[in-house]
Amino acid sequence: MPYKSSKQDSSDVLMLEWVLQVKNYRLTLDRHLCVGCQICCLVCPKEAVKIDKQQNMGEKALKSKVDIDLAKCNFCGACDVTCPFGAIKVTLNGVHKLALLAKESYPKIKRTILLDSALCPKTCSECETVCPFKLIKVSKVGFDGQPVKNVVELSPTEKRRIKLSVDIKKDYCPTCKICEVNCPSKILKVTKIFEGKIVINPDKCPYNCRSCVEVCPIPNVLTVDAADGKVVVTDVCCTFCGACKNVCPVVDALVVRRVKVAHERIHSGAWNRALERLTSTYDGVKVLKAVASLKKRDIVIKRLQDEIVDE
Amino acid sequence: MSELQEPKEELRIGVFVCHCGLNIAGTVDVHAVAEYAKTLDNVVFVKENRYTCADPGQEEIRNAIKQNDLNRIVIAACSPRMHEPTFRRTVAEAGLNSFLYEMANIREFSSWCHQNNPKDATERAKDTVHMAVAKVRLMQPLQTLEVPVTNKALIIGGGIAGINAALDLAEQGFKVYMLENSQSIGGHMAALDKTFPTLDCSICIEGPKMVDCSRHPNITIFAYSDLVKVDGYVGNFRVKIRKNPRYVIEEKCTGCGECKDVCPIEYPNEWDMNLGTRKAISVPFDQSVPLVYAINRDYCIECYKCTEKCGERQAIDFDQQPAEVEIEVGAIIVSTGYDVYEPYDLPLLGYGKYSNVVTSMEFERLILAAGPTGGKVIRQSDGQKPRRIAFILCVGSRDKNKYPYCSNYCCMYTLKHVVQLKEKYKEDIEVYVFYMDIRSTSKGYEEFYDRARERGVNFVRGRVSRIDENQNTHNLTVHSEDTLLGNPIEVEVDMVVLATASIAKKGSDNIARILNISRGQDGFFMEAHPKLKPLDAPTDGIFYAGACAGLKDIPYSVSQGSGAASRVAAVISKPKWQIEPIISIVNQTKCTSCGICVNACPYGAIKHEKNQPATIITASCHGCGTCVAECPSHAITQMHFTDAQIMAQIHAALQDNPEEKILAFLCNWCSYAGADLAGINRCEYPANVRVIRIMCSGRVSKEFILEALRLSAGMILIGACHLPYDCHYINGNHKMKTRTDTLKNMLTKLGMSPQRFRIEYVSAAEGIHYAEIIKEINQQRKNIGTKQIKEETTKLKPTIERMLKTKNHLTNPPP
Repeated sequence: MPYKSSKQDSSDVLMLEWVLQVKNYRLTLDRHLCVGCQICCLVCPKEAVKIDKQQNMGEKALKSKVDIDLAKCNFCGACDVTCPFGAIKVTLNGVHKLALLAKESYPKIKRTILLDSALCPKTCSECETVCPFKLIKVSKVGFDGQPVKNVVELSPTEKRRIKLSVDIKKDYCPTCKICEVNCPSKILKVTKIFEGKIVINPDKCPYNCRSCVEVCPIPNVLTVDAADGKVVVTDVCCTFCGACKNVCPVVDALVVRRVKVAHERIHSGAWNRALERLTSTYDGVKVLKAVASLKKRDIVIKRLQDEIVDE
Repeated sequence: MSELQEPKEELRIGVFVCHCGLNIAGTVDVHAVAEYAKTLDNVVFVKENRYTCADPGQEEIRNAIKQNDLNRIVIAACSPRMHEPTFRRTVAEAGLNSFLYEMANIREFSSWCHQNNPKDATERAKDTVHMAVAKVRLMQPLQTLEVPVTNKALIIGGGIAGINAALDLAEQGFKVYMLENSQSIGGHMAALDKTFPTLDCSICIEGPKMVDCSRHPNITIFAYSDLVKVDGYVGNFRVKIRKNPRYVIEEKCTGCGECKDVCPIEYPNEWDMNLGTRKAISVPFDQSVPLVYAINRDYCIECYKCTEKCGERQAIDFDQQPAEVEIEVGAIIVSTGYDVYEPYDLPLLGYGKYSNVVTSMEFERLILAAGPTGGKVIRQSDGQKPRRIAFILCVGSRDKNKYPYCSNYCCMYTLKHVVQLKEKYKEDIEVYVFYMDIRSTSKGYEEFYDRARERGVNFVRGRVSRIDENQNTHNLTVHSEDTLLGNPIEVEVDMVVLATASIAKKGSDNIARILNISRGQDGFFMEAHPKLKPLDAPTDGIFYAGACAGLKDIPYSVSQGSGAASRVAAVISKPKWQIEPIISIVNQTKCTSCGICVNACPYGAIKHEKNQPATIITASCHGCGTCVAECPSHAITQMHFTDAQIMAQIHAALQDNPEEKILAFLCNWCSYAGADLAGINRCEYPANVRVIRIMCSGRVSKEFILEALRLSAGMILIGACHLPYDCHYINGNHKMKTRTDTLKNMLTKLGMSPQRFRIEYVSAAEGIHYAEIIKEINQQRKNIGTKQIKEETTKLKPTIERMLKTKNHLTNPPP
């Protein structure tokens, strides 16, 4: 059969496919995981991704809908790598292994979550409770190898012998930091993928419009001030994904500014352009300069080490 | 018209009536025609020949000219498109200027198309001779023009035919440019696995020739380039080529392929029939010539990994722009090849729907060791080797609803595939071939068919009605009829291979337009003569090689390549080329310097400065005559087709019973050739049509129509090349259309029945269409009736005479 390209779109999943005699490229977008943010649209090197604002059917605002143009998509997987929520997966013959990363044409996005679960109090599973995406699983296993259900009822000895492990599905984590903020022992450390700022222009923010609040995937980042009906930002837990910006009805009422992206150091034109679009020309250049200075630092360190060896 | 002036010298016209064996004499009463010719003014000598074109016939003409002191010759025989050059030589050999003779076409236009109506055929033949005599009376001696020849050639299309032509010409010492629109030369042959009937590896025998091409000092290859524009004429073509950007600098790329290894992006490889993929920076196949990588910017994400890898070589340039190159050549070979039909529109065969139905070209890539599967024949649905395969022949070809012609080589390549399978997998595979006829008509082909039969292949004679797929196993059931047994047959197989039709190359319409050559109904280019000039295009200096002018297998294409090379050498080895002097000239005193002709000329051959009379660049004039018809002050004359000559033909044609006649102006290249074809195909049509041959329909002046109507012509037809692009003079047909549309509106308002004046578009391939048109027009003429036509003439006459008088251009015929 000839090469066939197809696209299936449903309320659950958007699937694009190239079927060749020996190869099968597939892109799957999980519509439940997708929050309608801007990231994939910004990083796509072929400008194949489009974000459509949805008509407000009921009382609540709907998250924006992502659509991918089959004619433009080349299954490179840049969207897959960058999606903070892990909603997009690109596979070749069913295997999720991207040539883009293997050839270092695109950096891995760093999601740094540091936790020594040995330090966790045996009774605590606060992070599991607060995670808005249900990505954290705290499992406690007793001395008999059986999972422990109710820790409080156990004797102190038994409590001590509990083995506690925290399993975090990192690939899907947008690094909102809610777990870190709520960790009672302050032993969980999360570094965000994006750093930046959200600014609300109170003059333009429409009174009692709750659109951004309703689409924001993280609870309590955006709230409406009861007094003046304007939106207030608490950006400690903000992922700077931009889902709010997509639904905001007024131009410039809400500005999302990303200044930094946590990624591995690689050298690629495609990434530089993506970086510029994710942040801004100014911030992108700054990041690149930072990378360059890191490189210089490495060179200096290497030289110093060589000198030490020589001596 | 009384104003028609006769030349001063004493006219001595000789008329020769050819029998053409029984081709003419079998239908037309040639004696009556000869007797009639004797009664015409100035005719002093009439002779009948059995075969005028044969040596004795030509000898008779030469003797008659010398003995009877003849100074004008009319030869009533076949179409001038056939033998005009022959007799021009004959006349010249007798010491007469070769432009003092005219042909009367009484074979294609009389005996062959009115076989059931000898009486009318004879009448038509008489009138045709009369018209020719009337024209020849006004003919002037002309001198053939000579132009210098550029001794270089251009070959369009670098397939096996083009490669052979290029090598042959280059070996003879001529500079050759080869234009190829894909990234590598080689054509379809480079994509094949084996060749029949010898089963030698295709790329192994073509590869060295491709490399020879790239290394030969006389050959310059423009790969990944398009033909933009061709100006000029035989011996002096100016060709504009656009080199598409590869984003890799050709001179710097070493073809090492390191860039390909670091590229992260893959896309379907069209050269692999999209069965496999290639990198965004790659060559289509390893043996590509020229071995220069190219970046597909549709897929590239611009990570610049390739640039980094290329390093100091600096061969990659993302800012490359398309570059235009102009070259000058003396002759052109068109060897653009063919395309393979993809049967998406035959839903009963399930191509594109069922995953295990492939075309033969796809199968070729599957069985090829360097192909995407490494030579393993596997099914797409499960990656398993099929155990039963059905081959279906004539998919799309020999099908009245698709492509009526036979695609020539499908039988043979299918036999090749089955032999390959049987020899590779032996008893492990069961093969069925559903065929209509097996056509194995060349050296060693029938023996190859025997070889397939001996291997135990099941041949089933019958057309496949449909294919069904089992949705679980993805196996296919082929439904057909075994016509030899007379039973319906159903076979369950694992894979189906469709031997699809080969079709005219996509874009050949564009090539045809740029080069001013025509295509047949099947889309393939038309030869100047199907038997005697199979390599020549109708336009001088352009030749064909290979499948672009009809499907051919490899040995045939190779020999055509060499043949075309020798035809080209015949042109470009000469220092000078003669051009027909049927060009336009400007009467400087009459020219009012209005500049209309400058815009009318499709070749930009007319120059004029303000308040200066226009001048025509002789070598650029192609002789269409459009400027003559457009000139408001009648200052331009087309040699050999002067207003006076055509008027004389109109008068002769409409001498008797004008109301019952159809006066047709047919352009030489399309509609006259179409009318010829109607004769060649023996299509019967009414015999009351009288044809005036002009080079281009753009030549038809308003005055011709007005004069014909004044003389009460029953019906008037202008036959042109098809709109929009078929005109051999670029846009003569458009010019004619705009000019005559206004005239027709005016005449209709004055009371003419609109059906009496008609424009039709007939291509050189549409003989039957032409016959149908004439039948239809004749029926309309009958419907209107002679009486009404006469009444209309009386009504129109005063206006027309007034119009012709103000024009008054015939009172002073140009020098």
